[in-house]
Amino acid sequence: MTNNGFQHGSAAGIRIHVLPTKAFKTFAISLYAGVPLEESTVTSTALVPFVLRRGTASYPETTEFRERLEELYGAGFGFDIYKRGDYQIVQFRMDTINDSFVQSKESLLGESFAFLGEVLTRPLLEDGSFRASYVATERETIRKKLESIVNDKIRYAAERCIEEMCRKEPYRLHPLGQRADLDGITPESLYQSYNSWLNGATLDLYVVGDTTPEEVEKLVVAHFGRARHSESVPYVSNFTPVTVTEVRTVEERLDVNQGKLNMGLRTSITYKDDSYAAALMYNGILGGYPHSKLFVNVREKESLAYYASSRYDGHKGIGTIQSGIESQNYGKAVDIIRKQLDELKAGNISELELSQTKAMIRNLLSEIQDSAFEMISFDFNRQLSGKDRTAQELMDQVDSLGAAEVKAAADTFELDTIYFLTGKEE
Amino acid sequence: MEKLHYERLQETLYHEVMDNGLQVYVLPKPAFLKTYATFATQYGSVDNHFKVAGGEETTVPDGIAHFLEHKMFEEPEGDIFATFASNGASANAFTSFDQTVYLFSATENIEQNLSTLVDFVQRPYFTDENVEKEKGIIGQEINMYADNPDWRVYFGLIEAMYATHPVHIDIAGTIESISTITKETLYTCYNSFYHPSNMLLFIVGGVDPEKVFELIRNNQKGKSYEKQGEITRIFDPEPEEVASKHVESRLAVSIPKMMFGFKEKVDGLTGEAAVRRDLTTKLMLDLLFGSSTALYQKLYDEELISDSFGHEFNSSPQYAFSAIGGDTKDPGLLLERIKEEVGLILEKGFAAKDFERARKKKIGGFLRMLNSPESIAHEFTRYQFRGGDLFEVLPLYESITLDEVNARLHDHVDWEQLAVSLVVSP
Repeated sequence: MTNNGFQHGSAAGIRIHVLPTKAFKTFAISLYAGVPLEESTVTSTALVPFVLRRGTASYPETTEFRERLEELYGAGFGFDIYKRGDYQIVQFRMDTINDSFVQSKESLLGESFAFLGEVLTRPLLEDGSFRASYVATERETIRKKLESIVNDKIRYAAERCIEEMCRKEPYRLHPLGQRADLDGITPESLYQSYNSWLNGATLDLYVVGDTTPEEVEKLVVAHFGRARHSESVPYVSNFTPVTVTEVRTVEERLDVNQGKLNMGLRTSITYKDDSYAAALMYNGILGGYPHSKLFVNVREKESLAYYASSRYDGHKGIGTIQSGIESQNYGKAVDIIRKQLDELKAGNISELELSQTKAMIRNLLSEIQDSAFEMISFDFNRQLSGKDRTAQELMDQVDSLGAAEVKAAADTFELDTIYFLTGKEE
Repeated sequence: MEKLHYERLQETLYHEVMDNGLQVYVLPKPAFLKTYATFATQYGSVDNHFKVAGGEETTVPDGIAHFLEHKMFEEPEGDIFATFASNGASANAFTSFDQTVYLFSATENIEQNLSTLVDFVQRPYFTDENVEKEKGIIGQEINMYADNPDWRVYFGLIEAMYATHPVHIDIAGTIESISTITKETLYTCYNSFYHPSNMLLFIVGGVDPEKVFELIRNNQKGKSYEKQGEITRIFDPEPEEVASKHVESRLAVSIPKMMFGFKEKVDGLTGEAAVRRDLTTKLMLDLLFGSSTALYQKLYDEELISDSFGHEFNSSPQYAFSAIGGDTKDPGLLLERIKEEVGLILEKGFAAKDFERARKKKIGGFLRMLNSPESIAHEFTRYQFRGGDLFEVLPLYESITLDEVNARLHDHVDWEQLAVSLVVSP
C-alpha cells in the first residue's frame, strides 16, 4: 500500500499534503475548508464558494473566469459542500493536465495554483464588498438547489430521514443552509462572513501528481500568501453517542409511483475507534453489497425492490438503510429488514458472509490508490478524525475479525427512525 | 497478439481476435493496483426486430435486452455476485440503446475473476420460475425511473422526436411489455446476440497482456461455438420530421424541467466519419451552450437557467439528435430567448479564438478521461462498435477546422427539426 505516501507540511496558515507520483496524466488539487456546522453560519458559509466562482480581481466577469479554465486545457474546477460529523466542509477541486502531454507555454500546475489562490484570496470586490448582482443571483441558485432536492425522491427521502433523526442536533441542517436565511444576506454581510470563514476555517491543501513538496510549498506561499493570519486549528471530535429510547416512525405523502423506505440507526462506533473495522464489516454484511443480507432477502428472495442497501457514516456514528418498494408492501419490507438487523445482533453470520465481505472491503480499500481524489479523500478523513491509520492497517484489522466481533458491533447499532415516503391517498 | 503503441498518450494497447471471433483488448496500466474488465455485446434496447443469416425474422418484447442482462447473473448454483464477492470483485452490468456490458473491478484474483466474467456471460440459465421472479424486481426499477424527472424529461424528448425507431422506447420496457417475456424469448435473444463474434472483451489495469490472452484463448477453446452468420437489424422507416414538437409529463417537481433538441436526418455514417461528425457536433454544442459562453451567462443572469443546464449529442447510423436543457422557471421564455440568441450566432458563426479555446478544453477533457480505467473501457468499446478508435481522438480533434464547426452549426440547428419536452408539477 502506498496511500499513506502523503508528505505533510504547512505554509501561509494552510496544512499542505503532497503525494508525488507519475501514475496519472493530471495534477489533482483539493483544498478543504472546514468550520463547525452551526445554524448561525451554515447558509452564509454555503453561499461563499458560489460567489467566489463568479469572478476574481483578474477575471471579474464569469465568462472570463471560465474562459481562463478552458485555456488551461479545460482544467477541471469545482466545489462541493457537505457535512462530515459536526463540521461543514467546503472542498474546492482542480484537475489539470500534466504539461508533458500538451504543448503548453505555461506551467499548468503553477497556473492552476495561481487560479485557485486568486479564487480564494482575491475575489472581485466593488466598493469594498462582493458585487451585489453576483450575491443576488447565487442566493437564488442556492434557493433553487434547496427547493429542487424534492425532485430526486431517493435523495430527498435519504435527507429527510437524517433530518428527522437528528432534529435536535446541528446535523439536521442541510450543508447548503436554510432557505429562510437567504434573504437576510447582503453583499456586505457576506463579505464579512467570507473573511471570518477564511481566517477561522481549518485549511488543508492536497496535491497528487508529478511534483514535489518543495515546489508545492513555494506555490502556496506565492499564491495563497495572503490567505490568513493564523495557523489552521486541527479538527476536534465532539462526538457523544446518542441512546435510542424508542423507534420513531415518520410518514410523508407526495405524488410518487414508488414508496421510499429509509431507516436511520445510531451507533457508538466512529471512525477513530479501534472497532471501526467491525462496524465496516457489520454494514458490509447487512447491506453494503449484492451478496449482503438486504439485497439477498429484500430483492432476490422476495422481489420487493430493485435496490435495498445500507451505508455507515463513521464520522457521525450513524447507519442508514434505503429501499424503493410498492407502498402496499411497507409492512412486509419493514419486517424483513428488521429481521436482518436481529440476525446480526444474534450473531447469525456465516463464514461465507465474513469472507466475502472481507474480500469486498479489501478491494475497496486497495482501489483507493488508483484514484488521486480517492487517496486525497482517505487522507483527509485521517486529518478530520485525528486517527492515524493507513488503509493497509485498516485492511489488516478487517481481516482479523470473526463473527463475535461483528456481533459486538451489531450490538451498538440501534434502529432510531423509520421514514416512509409514499403516494398520496386516492 | 497485435501491439499498438500511442506515443503521445503514453499508452500501449494489445489486441487479439479469438478463433471464434471474440475481440480481446488489453491495456496495461502498470502503476494501477486494480483491474477493470468489461465484456460487451453489441446488443441493446433498439435491437427488437432482427434476423440472423439462415434464421427467421424475429420481433421481441420491449425491454428484453435489459431483462436478459438481469437474468444473466443467475446461475444453477445461485447468484454470480456471490462468486465475485468471494474473489473480492465488485461486479455490475448495464444496458444502453445499442450495447449490454458486464463488468467487474478487482485488485486480487484477477485470473479467477476474468474466468468468472467470461463464463457467466457465456452460460445462460433461464427457468420459468426465475424469469417470473425477475418481473417484480424490474417492475420496481421501472417505477423508480418513472419517479425520476431527469429521466422522464430526457425520454420525453426522444419520444417526441422518434415515431418508429425503437430508440424512443424506454430501455427497461414497460410493466406490460416485460410481462410477456418468457425463458424461450430470452434464449432466442441470447443465441442471436451473445455469439463471441458479436462481442468485445476489454481489460485495463495492472496485468500482463500475454498471460491474459493465454487465459482467454484456453477458456474459449473449451467452448464450442458454431460459426454465426450476419445479424441484420431491421428498422421500420423513420419519418424525417419530429413525431411531436412538444410533449409534457407531470411529476412533483419544484421547478419545471425542459429539454429540447434537434433531430437530424439519417446519414448512415460509421467509422471515422461518424466519430468526426460526433466530435465536431459536440464542439459546436459546447461553443453554443457551454458554461463559458456569453449565451449561457446571459441566460443564467436572467435566472432562466441554472447549473443543471447541459447538452449532449447521441448518434447511431439510424438516428442522431441533440438534447439540451435543465431546470427553468419559464420554459416558454427560455426557448424564445434561445431562438433569439442562437439566431444571432447563426448569422456570424463562431470566432476563431473561441473555437481554439473550446478545442483545448476538449483535448484536456479527453486526456483527463484516460486517468479512469472505467471510462477508457466504456469509451473504447463504444467507439469500436461504431467502427472508430478511441485512441485516435486526439489527432482528430486537432484536425477539425473552424469552418467545419460552423458548417455543422448550420446543418444541425434547423428549427423545423426542433422538439421540446417538459416535466411540470401537476
